[in-house]
Parts: sequence; structure tokens; C-alpha cells
Amino acid sequence: MSVQYKAVYWNPAKRRYDVAIALGVLLFLGVFIGLTAARNPSATAETLVIRGTSLTAFFLLHVILSIGPLARLNTAFLPLLYNRRHLGVTMFLLALTHAVFAIVQFHALGDVNSLVSLLTTHAPFELFGLAALIVLFFMAATSHDFWLNALSPRVWKTLHMGVYFAYALLIAHVAFGALRAETNPALTAVCAMGAATVTGLHLAAGWRERRLDERTPESTAGLIEVGRALDIPEKRARIVSAGGERVAIFRYDGKISAISNVCQHQNGPLGEGRIVDGCVTCPWHGYQYLPESGASPPPFLEKVATYRTRVAGGVVYLDPRPCAPGTPVEPSRIE
Amino acid sequence: MAGAIAAAAGVYLAIGLAFAAIFLTRGIVKLDTRAAGVGWAFRLIVLPGVAALWPLLWSKWRRVR
Repeated sequence: MSVQYKAVYWNPAKRRYDVAIALGVLLFLGVFIGLTAARNPSATAETLVIRGTSLTAFFLLHVILSIGPLARLNTAFLPLLYNRRHLGVTMFLLALTHAVFAIVQFHALGDVNSLVSLLTTHAPFELFGLAALIVLFFMAATSHDFWLNALSPRVWKTLHMGVYFAYALLIAHVAFGALRAETNPALTAVCAMGAATVTGLHLAAGWRERRLDERTPESTAGLIEVGRALDIPEKRARIVSAGGERVAIFRYDGKISAISNVCQHQNGPLGEGRIVDGCVTCPWHGYQYLPESGASPPPFLEKVATYRTRVAGGVVYLDPRPCAPGTPVEPSRIE
Repeated sequence: MAGAIAAAAGVYLAIGLAFAAIFLTRGIVKLDTRAAGVGWAFRLIVLPGVAALWPLLWSKWRRVR
């Protein structure tokens, strides 16, 4: 959230996050390279780098893909989600290092252009890897918020959903490459466990979301009965599904306000955030909106839809018809 | 065929890098005021994307102009 871009928005928490990523990657790489070199002393440095970076990148991709559903299932994982794009860029740089070393080792030493040599390879797993690398490049290259505005949030989000396509390509890359050459079944078992974990977490998170959407509240005279006002924790929200849209109904300072649950930044779940300094704060990247108007505090420009509410007999009612983004709506008072 | 693809990729990238050099010094601020007065580190970070997505940014820049 900014009126002027910065190269990287660092704060103490993000610095700790990035230090943890760097130490984790170095530790993973170091242990793998050390163990492989001890087991196979004839392995060249290039081979160790090719294998080490590929394994680290593939492991990181599993972590990245698991963070989203884990955060939906348990808010304790939200801090991991907060700066996930740094993990993504790190993973791409590892994958790029793997690709550069592999191309130099296997395609750059002949008399044919190395890209031509790669494109005419007789080992199709290399083409799966190249395709995955291209997808990951576009994601890493457009990870800065500048691209969110240049491409529009919808296009940006769609582009970044390409991570699942890249994952499928990398599964093929590993299955037709490393797994075919590997005689030890442990690697196959680890890859299968990784895929099962990612799939299982997504299914569990999807099932939870579906249950939330299916829980249609009672409707009276066009108003949706949300529940008792005091059952909503102070400065927190209850999320309801209204007319196919998720709405976050916040309780704060004896008042009730409702806004769209979808953050304008990266579609983060506003209703899972809380009110900080009088603003609804997205749990993903800290974007803020005033609960009464759905507009970001000046000079910021983001706006989300607002909804009219009513409190009668201590019960909150919601008008499911959205007001235009940024429309001020008088908060309902809790009697 | 592979040679043609490699050559086309090279030409596309070369145009992209030339476009990025101009866009990052003159065009980016016209497209997004939040880039005004921001240092070289920001421009370096968005450079690969600008070089790769130059037709899209060129079209947007032309519309703004």
C-alpha cells in the first residue's frame, strides 16, 4: 500500500522472514551437497550445484504451494503468507541457477547454439523444465506491486495462478528426468508424498471454503440474519456468503459495518484480518480500508464495496445488495 | 524450426531490452505516477518484466500519450 513505489518494502518482520529464507536455503543446499559429495566423491561441482539447486527449488515450491491452504485452515500460518512472493523469487532464482548450470553442462559445449540444442533435445523432460522455468520467470518478474497496477489485479492474479501449471510441468520434468534415472525408490516416494501433501491441503482448504459458502444465513424481508452482534469478536469480523459474494461484517467500538471480503490488492480475505488504528487491515499484506466507507485512508486510492446493516434485538442483519466501492454507509449501533 | 524459434526469441528480447531502457527512464512515470522519483533499484527489479512484456507496456504507454 503506497503512494510511491519502493524497490522492496522491508520492515523488521520482513527482514527476519528474508533472513530465515536465506539461512534455510543455504542450510538445505549445504546439507544436500555435503551428503551427496560424501556418498559420491566423484561427483563434479557442477553436478552438485545442478542437483542441489533443483532439489531446493522443488522443495521450496511445495512450501509455497502449501502456505496458501495452510493459512486458510489455520491463521497461525498467516505470517508465512505475508511475504510469500520473496519465497517465490528465491525459488525462481534457484531454478534459474539449476537451468543455467544444466544448459552449460549439457548443451553449451557443442557447435550448435545452446538454445537450439535444448529445443531439439531427445530428452523431453528438459522441455518440461524449460516451459516451467518460463512460467516461473513471468511470475517472478511481475511480483512487484507495480505489475499489479500495470496488469490489473484480475490479470495479475490469473497470471500468478500459473504456479499450478508450472508445478504440473515440474512434476513431469522430475518424473521423466530424475526419477527415470534413479534406482532408489526413496526419491519417487518423497515426490509422491510432496504431491499428495499439496493436493490434500488444497482439497481440505477448498472443502472448508465450500462449507462456508453453503452456510446460507436466514433471510427475512430481503435482509440476511448474520447472528448476534456480541458473538462477533471486538475488532474482528464474521464472514457470510451473500448473493454469491463474501461479506465481512466487523464489530468495533459498539458499531457494526460490512464491507466486501475481497482485498483490492491480491484478493486477500479482509474478514480474516482485524481493525488496526480504525482501519480494516488485510491479513495478507496489510492493506487498509475504513470500515464505514470501504475506502483506504487518504492518500491511498483502494476501495471495496460496502453493505448496509441493521441491528435489532442484538441481532445483526445485512442487506446483501452491495453499494459501489468506497460508498460511505452509516455503521449500525449495537444497542 | 528450432533455429527460427531461438532467433525470434533473441530478437524479441533485444527489442524488449531496448524498450526497457527508454520506458524505465521516460514512460513508466506516465503510466504510473507512483514510480515518480523512485530510485534505480526499483527500476532494476521491474526491468526483466518490462523486457518480457514490452508489447503490452508499449501499447499502454501509447494510449496514455
